[in-house]
Amino acid sequence: MSIAVRQWLNRLFTIAALLSVVFIVAALVGILLPMVWRGGGAVVFRGTVEFRKMQLEQFGRGDTKAVRAEWEQAARLRQRAWDILDRFAAGLDTSDLQIKVRRIHRDLGDQLANRDLPRQELAHLRALSRQFRDDLLAALESGDKAQALARLQSVLDHADDPLLADTLAAGYFEVARRYEKTLVTVDLSRRAEYAQGIGEIRAILQNLLGPRPGERLPAIVMEQYGATRWDHAAQHLNRLLWAERWAPAGPGQPLRRVQVPREQQFAGTELAELFPFVRDNIREMLRPRWTVYWHYFTDDSTPGHYFGGVGPEILGTLLVTVLAIAFALPIGVITAGYLVECAADTLPTRMLRMAVNTLAGVPSIVFGLFGLAFFVIYLLPKLGLPEGSSIVAGALTLGLLVLPVVIRASEEAIRAVPQAYREAALSLGASRFRCFITVTLPAALPGVLTGLILSMSRAAGETAPILFTAAVAMGPIPSSLAQPTRTLAYSSYDMAVGDKMAAMAPHNQFGMVATLIAIVLLLNAAAIVLRGRISKRLRGQ
Amino acid sequence: MTKVDDNQATAEFPRPLLLTPAQDWAGWLVRKASRTALLAITATSILAVGLILVFIVREAWPFIRDRGLGDALGSTQWYPQAAGGREQFGMLALVFGSLYVTAGAMVLAVPMGILAAVVLSDIAPFSVRQAVKPVIELLAAIPSVAYGFFAVLVLAPLLQDRLGLTTGTNALNASVMLAIMAIPTIVSVAEDSLWAVGRELREASYACGATRAETLVKVVIPAAHNGIFAAVILGMMRAIGETMLVWMASGNACRIPSPWWNLTQSVRTMTATIAGEMGETPKGSVHYSALFVVGLMLLVVSMGANLVTEVLLLRARRSSGGRA
Repeated sequence: MSIAVRQWLNRLFTIAALLSVVFIVAALVGILLPMVWRGGGAVVFRGTVEFRKMQLEQFGRGDTKAVRAEWEQAARLRQRAWDILDRFAAGLDTSDLQIKVRRIHRDLGDQLANRDLPRQELAHLRALSRQFRDDLLAALESGDKAQALARLQSVLDHADDPLLADTLAAGYFEVARRYEKTLVTVDLSRRAEYAQGIGEIRAILQNLLGPRPGERLPAIVMEQYGATRWDHAAQHLNRLLWAERWAPAGPGQPLRRVQVPREQQFAGTELAELFPFVRDNIREMLRPRWTVYWHYFTDDSTPGHYFGGVGPEILGTLLVTVLAIAFALPIGVITAGYLVECAADTLPTRMLRMAVNTLAGVPSIVFGLFGLAFFVIYLLPKLGLPEGSSIVAGALTLGLLVLPVVIRASEEAIRAVPQAYREAALSLGASRFRCFITVTLPAALPGVLTGLILSMSRAAGETAPILFTAAVAMGPIPSSLAQPTRTLAYSSYDMAVGDKMAAMAPHNQFGMVATLIAIVLLLNAAAIVLRGRISKRLRGQ
Repeated sequence: MTKVDDNQATAEFPRPLLLTPAQDWAGWLVRKASRTALLAITATSILAVGLILVFIVREAWPFIRDRGLGDALGSTQWYPQAAGGREQFGMLALVFGSLYVTAGAMVLAVPMGILAAVVLSDIAPFSVRQAVKPVIELLAAIPSVAYGFFAVLVLAPLLQDRLGLTTGTNALNASVMLAIMAIPTIVSVAEDSLWAVGRELREASYACGATRAETLVKVVIPAAHNGIFAAVILGMMRAIGETMLVWMASGNACRIPSPWWNLTQSVRTMTATIAGEMGETPKGSVHYSALFVVGLMLLVVSMGANLVTEVLLLRARRSSGGRA
């Protein structure tokens, strides 16, 4: 090969190697950044007045007076939006009006019976009332505009009848006038189409602004509030302004989704003014404000994680992790001390080393199976605990999982203590045990601590071992260690795959996993810093 | 003078410096007892390995006794919930699924991992190496459920919408994510063994006029091959034993893809099967026992791989003269 070719190959190799590093870094940044960024959206976001109201009512947080004042201001504008919708809906969905007409007829009958009227007059008025009722009902049900208007007119002709003054018959005329006004703008032939659209719009407005004041509150917490976040509000607004339609893309091609402005769909009707009104006033209706929701890390959540935070998950993760470490640390340090201080290269030591390495290589799901078979089904019921997953079982399983990590880190740390320390202690007459406890172990402590932090982060992130031993997706905050708990890792899984409701609150999905990643990375970063300081000290700086 | 010295000595050492055997009896006993106690605590690891083996085998035994392993490994029909005694437990598709996504991951991860290790050991300056190594360790620590989360909620819709696949959770998705997950492990171990090869071989090669690429490919990597094999096996074991990620990303369709190279079909792995079905299985049923058989297979494979790694790393340490 000529030198030129070899040099080219050399360069190619270098470029390929550098590219692979670039790719790895890009992949990891591409994976971590979106999750942490979107997860951050669960804590820092633009909260609306609905969010502050929710916080006040669900968590008792915030200034009652200020929130109420703000909400009432917003409610005034919202009322206008609802009014526009109501006026239009009255022309389309006449069932409410029909009920009203029937009620007026009944009430009027009662009213007339209570008045001491001559028999003949009473019969006349009753007949009139019946006639009004029938005319109005016919008008409300009619699909033909001219016919409906004629019926309404025949009722309104009697509006000035002195006999009917001061009676409930005024209600008939009011209904007739209102419906007459509506009829001017509504195209009755498109009634069915409008009726469907209006149901959609009503649902979207409900999502955006929450249930109407005075209406009965829905039982589900999620539906008791409008858009609590500005990004949600923007989505709902978009759905309000643009309707999705399937349009033919051409012969032989599948249908295409197109966005049609709803304003166009309702052009010429009273409702058309709703869309620009909501669009222009949405800020005043919702009053978004940058919010830092620190309580995200302590709050419990509503079912489906729609509102609230990850408090119980963090608590559960910490409980399981700390218990696992409490189990693994003493055993790990003693084993490491034994390996370094007491044992030469004998058969037991070799077996021990082998066992540690094997334990480190066992797949985490097998630990889960073992935890189920041994702790959950066999050991804990024998100790009088109820069968079934519990924090103790999960912690013991995780403890075994991190045991090799603790042993290896501690062994390394104890081995790194200079021999001179031990010799000095022994020469002063300390026993080997005393020497280990008072001299070697304190000197190795930072290294042991590093191992402890690393194994904590490992235990916090593992999911498979606690699947059948400790974790549940939903449930109360555990009151004892014999109960299962929610954890960050398992809830991350559950929110991504299992929980269909969680997809409606993507910020909370990402917030859960971002919290887990943040905890793990923080622990690891702490370990790295600690190790840096140790190596500096060992180099004598 | 001597008298005064004696007094001082007794002041400093309240007990005589040399104990008679009778006086030391208690101390001897304590020492023996404490050593035994230490050994007992130390034996927890050995005990744990033993218990894991015993309990997995114990739960798997009813299945092996009644149906035999040959049956389970000779069929791809996995229908554990079929009614009326017609359940089938063919584990071949599961084993294939595990190997399939692992192989896919390794094809991507091994070259990149080794190249990245080469960059750290031979191409980048020392200060970069010192800065990057902790970062790689940091990345190895990211929980697999986080990768799985990304696979389901970000990568899967991307594959589905952009590439027009029928499903975004498939073997391709699982393989790519597994590769990214295994790379830090491979880089870390491979870099250690490349570093341990030492200056002499490199300098000798350069002195013969070899370029950097030639030195690395023909001298350094062959010299470090034991450690690199160990790195690959460790990465592979991480991929085979991985549960959450493959459970979330692989689509969990229990069949062998046809044609076999079609990575865009869903597969199911052994680990995902255990994770997904154990929760819904009554304890003591055949299905329950079958899942423990799957776990036992994983355990045996991991123990075997562990043994091989250890031998390889031992050889690497010997051949590098105890530097690694």
